[in-house]
Amino acid sequence: MTEQLDEALSREYEAGFVSDVESRTFEPGLDEDVIRRISAMKDEPQWMLDWRLKAFALWKKMPEPDWAHLQYNKMDFQAISYYSAPKSMDERPKSLDEVDPELLRTYEKLGIPLIEQQQLAGIAVDVVFDSVSVVTTFREKLLEQGVIFCPISDAIREHPELVKKYLGSVVSQKDNFFSTLNCAVFTDGSFVYIPKGTRCPMELSTYFRINELNTGQFERTLIIADEGSHVSYLEGCTAPQRDENQLHAAVVELICLDGAEIKYSTVQNWYPGDENGKGGIYNFVTKRGICHTNAKISWTQVETGSAVTWKYPSCILKGDNSIGEFYSVALTRGAQQADTGTKMIHLGKNTRSTIISKGISAGKSNNTYRGLVHMGKGATGARNFTQCDSLLIGDKCGAHTFPYVESRNPTAIVEHEATTSKVSDDQMFLCQQRGLDPEKAVSMIVNGFCKEVFKELPMEFAVEAGKLLEISLEGSIG
Amino acid sequence: MSSWLADTIERAEEVNDWLSPKRKKSLSLLKDTRWPTRKTEAWRYTPVNNIERARFNVVESQGAPATDIPHLNAIDIVFIDGIYNAELSSKHFPEGLTITQLSEGNSSSWALDSFSKTKPERHFFGLINDALATQGCIIDIAADATIEQPIRIAQSFKQGTQTHTRILMRLGERASACVIEQLEGDELCFNTSFAEYQLAASAKLEHYRLAMQCADAISLGGCHFHLAEKAKLNSNLIGFGSQLSRVDYDIIHAGQFTDSKFNVIYLLDGKELFDLHSAIEHTQPNGKSEQNIRCIVADHSNAIFNGRIHIHRDAQKILAEMNNRNLLMSENAQINTKPELEIYADDVRCAHGATIAEIDKEAMFYLQSRGLSRNEAQVLLSFGFINELVDLMNNQAVAQWLRPILKQRFAAMEVS
Repeated sequence: MTEQLDEALSREYEAGFVSDVESRTFEPGLDEDVIRRISAMKDEPQWMLDWRLKAFALWKKMPEPDWAHLQYNKMDFQAISYYSAPKSMDERPKSLDEVDPELLRTYEKLGIPLIEQQQLAGIAVDVVFDSVSVVTTFREKLLEQGVIFCPISDAIREHPELVKKYLGSVVSQKDNFFSTLNCAVFTDGSFVYIPKGTRCPMELSTYFRINELNTGQFERTLIIADEGSHVSYLEGCTAPQRDENQLHAAVVELICLDGAEIKYSTVQNWYPGDENGKGGIYNFVTKRGICHTNAKISWTQVETGSAVTWKYPSCILKGDNSIGEFYSVALTRGAQQADTGTKMIHLGKNTRSTIISKGISAGKSNNTYRGLVHMGKGATGARNFTQCDSLLIGDKCGAHTFPYVESRNPTAIVEHEATTSKVSDDQMFLCQQRGLDPEKAVSMIVNGFCKEVFKELPMEFAVEAGKLLEISLEGSIG
Repeated sequence: MSSWLADTIERAEEVNDWLSPKRKKSLSLLKDTRWPTRKTEAWRYTPVNNIERARFNVVESQGAPATDIPHLNAIDIVFIDGIYNAELSSKHFPEGLTITQLSEGNSSSWALDSFSKTKPERHFFGLINDALATQGCIIDIAADATIEQPIRIAQSFKQGTQTHTRILMRLGERASACVIEQLEGDELCFNTSFAEYQLAASAKLEHYRLAMQCADAISLGGCHFHLAEKAKLNSNLIGFGSQLSRVDYDIIHAGQFTDSKFNVIYLLDGKELFDLHSAIEHTQPNGKSEQNIRCIVADHSNAIFNGRIHIHRDAQKILAEMNNRNLLMSENAQINTKPELEIYADDVRCAHGATIAEIDKEAMFYLQSRGLSRNEAQVLLSFGFINELVDLMNNQAVAQWLRPILKQRFAAMEVS
C-alpha cells in the first residue's frame, strides 16, 4: 500500500508525452481561406460553410472578454494553427486494424484501450486527436438501437436534418467570443442522437487529445436526447507538456427533449503548465443544455488541469418540471487559475436545480466559482439550492465566489450558501494520531470534501478522479 | 460625453477652496471614468440614465427639516436642501467634540488628509461628490472622549434640488460616539451624500444611516469606514428605495483585532429601487465582521445587493460572515443579489448565505386561521422578519421611532 502511495505521489503530469505522429498541419493564421479549407477537408456541404463564415464575420467584431477573475497573456489568434491531423488519417481508416499503430499506442499509454474486445463492456468511445476523430467504437452496435454516435463531421454529411435543426440552437452563433470562434473553425467532436424512449445501452465517451505544437483544439459536441430517452456521456482530455500555451475552445450543446435525461461527466486533465505558470492549456469552453418538459440535465465535472479554465456548464430550464444539476470539483495548484461555475436559468414552472461546487486551491493558484441562478417571471414554484465550498491549502493561494442570484417570481425559492475554510488542524491531528502521514491525511480529507461530487461520477471516472486529486495534491503541504 | 457630465465638470472646475488640491485629482479621474451603463459591473442592475435626463437647479435652502426623532436628545446638525442651517443646529458641544462646517475647514487640518481617503477611488458619483461637495461637516472626537449624546446629521431635500454633501469624521484613540445620518424627502431631486469615518485604535462607533428618501428622489451616497487596531463599528442601514437609491458601504479593517457589525433593512414598494454595494476589506489578521441584510420587496420594486468580503494575503484568523435574506412579495418585483467572497489567506473562516422566497404559506394560514386578516398576517410576519434587526439596535430612541414607521410602510405595501 505504502509503495503504491509513494509511487502515486511522485508521479508528475502523466499524460505529458508527445506522440511521434506525422501530421498535416495548417500554417498558423486565421482568415476566410482557412475556414474554407477546414470545411473542404471535412467535405462539408455549402450550408455548413456559410454558417461558419457568418460566425467568423461576427467574431471579428467581438472583443475578448475580460470580466473573469483571470490573468493571462492574451492570445495571438493569428499565431495558432487551426487544423492538424495525422497524415495516416488522410484515408479514413475503415476499421481499427487500419488505424496507425502509433496512434493506438498513444491511447494505450493514456490508459484508453481502443480494441473493442479489451474494453470494459458498456463503454463506446469516440477518440479525437488534434482536429480529427480517429475512431468511434461500437458505432454499429449502437445503431441497432437507433442510437447515432459518430464524429460531428460525419453527422453533418449523414444527418444534416438533425444538425441543421439543433446546431447553434442552445449556444447561439453570437453567444460569446470563444464560442463564436468555435463556430467558425470547429474541426471535430462527437454527435449523439438517442431516439424516442430509448435508454442508451452503454456509456458514451469522447477522449480529446492535443498533440501538435502551436495548434488549438476547437471541438464541437452536440447531444440530442429525444423524448423519454436517457444517455450518460463522459468526456476526458489530456495534452503534452509544452512551454507554450495552447488554446482549447470547445462548445457543447445538449438538447434534452420532453422527459429525456442527459448525464454529462467531464474529467478535465489538460496539461496545467509548470509550477511557475509556464505553458499549459488555456481552456475556454462553452457548455449549455436546454431542458424541455420533465427533462433533466446533470453536469458533473472534475477540473484538475489547464493553466486557465473558463468554463460555465449551464442549463436552460425551459420546460415545466425540468431539472438541472451541477456538481463540480475544481482543483488548482501551482500557478493554475480557474474561473468556473454554472448558470441555471429557470423559465418553466416547478423547475428545480441543484448546484454543488467544491473548489480546492493550493500553491499559488486562484480558484473562482462564478454562477448565476435566474428565476424568470414564469418560474412558479421553482427551487434552487446552491452550495459552494472552498478549501485553501497553503497561504499563497486564493479562493473566490461570485454568485449572481436574480429572482422575478415570488413563489420561487432560492437558497445559496458558501463557505471557505482550510484543512483544519483538528482533522489533521486526528488522522495523524491514527498513524496516517500528513500527505495521506490531506488526501483523505480532500476526498471527503469532494465526496458529494464524486458519487455523481460513473464508477470508472470516480476512481480516476480520486487518483487525479491524490497526484495533484503531492507536495502541497509542508 | 453627455452634456450633463460636461456641465457638472464645468461647475466643478469653478470650485476653489481649501480642498481644491484633493478635488483636482478626483476631477481628473472623473474625466477618465466612463458613464456607468448596464455593462458596467457595479451598475449592472441600476440604470442611472434618469440623472442625465432630469434638470436640477442649485437652489437656496427653503424646505422643511427632516422629521424629529423623539427622545433622542441629540446634538443636531441640520441641512436643508444641502445647505447648513445654523438656526436649527446645536450650538454647544460637550467636551472632546468639535464640529466644523466643511466650508470652514482649512488646509492645515487633518481633514484635508482624510478627505477621499477611504472612499473608493473609482466610484463615479463619489468622484462627482469629491468635486462638488462644498457643504457638510467635519466632526472630530478627541482621544479618550466618550460622547454620550448621539450626533444626528439630518438632511432633507425638496423638489428640483441638486445637492452634494460630505461628512468627515475622526474618532481619536479609545473615543466612542454614536452618529445618526438621516436623509428624507420624496420629491424629485438629485443628491449625493458621502461620509468618511476614521476610527483610531480602540475607538468605538455606533452608526445609523436612515436612507429614507423615497418615491421620486434620486439619491446616491456612501459610508466609508477605516478601522485601526481594536476599533469597533456597529452600523445600521435602513433603506426605503426611490426612483434611484444607491448606497455604497466600505468597511476597511486596517488594524488587527477589529470588529464590525453591519445590519441592513430595506423595504421597497411601488417602482422603487434600492441598490446596496457593501465591501468588507480585511487587510490585517484577527479581524471579525458580520453582516445581516434583510430585504422585503413589493409591487414593481427592484432590490439590488452586492456584498463583497475581501480577505487580503496574510490576513489570517479572520472570521467573516454575511447573511442575506430576501422576501419577494409580488410578481412584478425583482431581487438581484450577489454575495461575493475573495479570499487570499488560508486560515480563515468565511461564510455567506443568500435566500429568496415569499412569506411562508403555512405561517400565513396559521395566522389567518386564528382570525387575522390576510393583511394583518402579512404585516405581522414581515415585520417579525425585520424586527429581529431592529431589536439589535443599541439606540432605543431610534428603534422605537422606527417601528411604527416600518409597520406603516408594510401595511401600505402592494402585495400580489
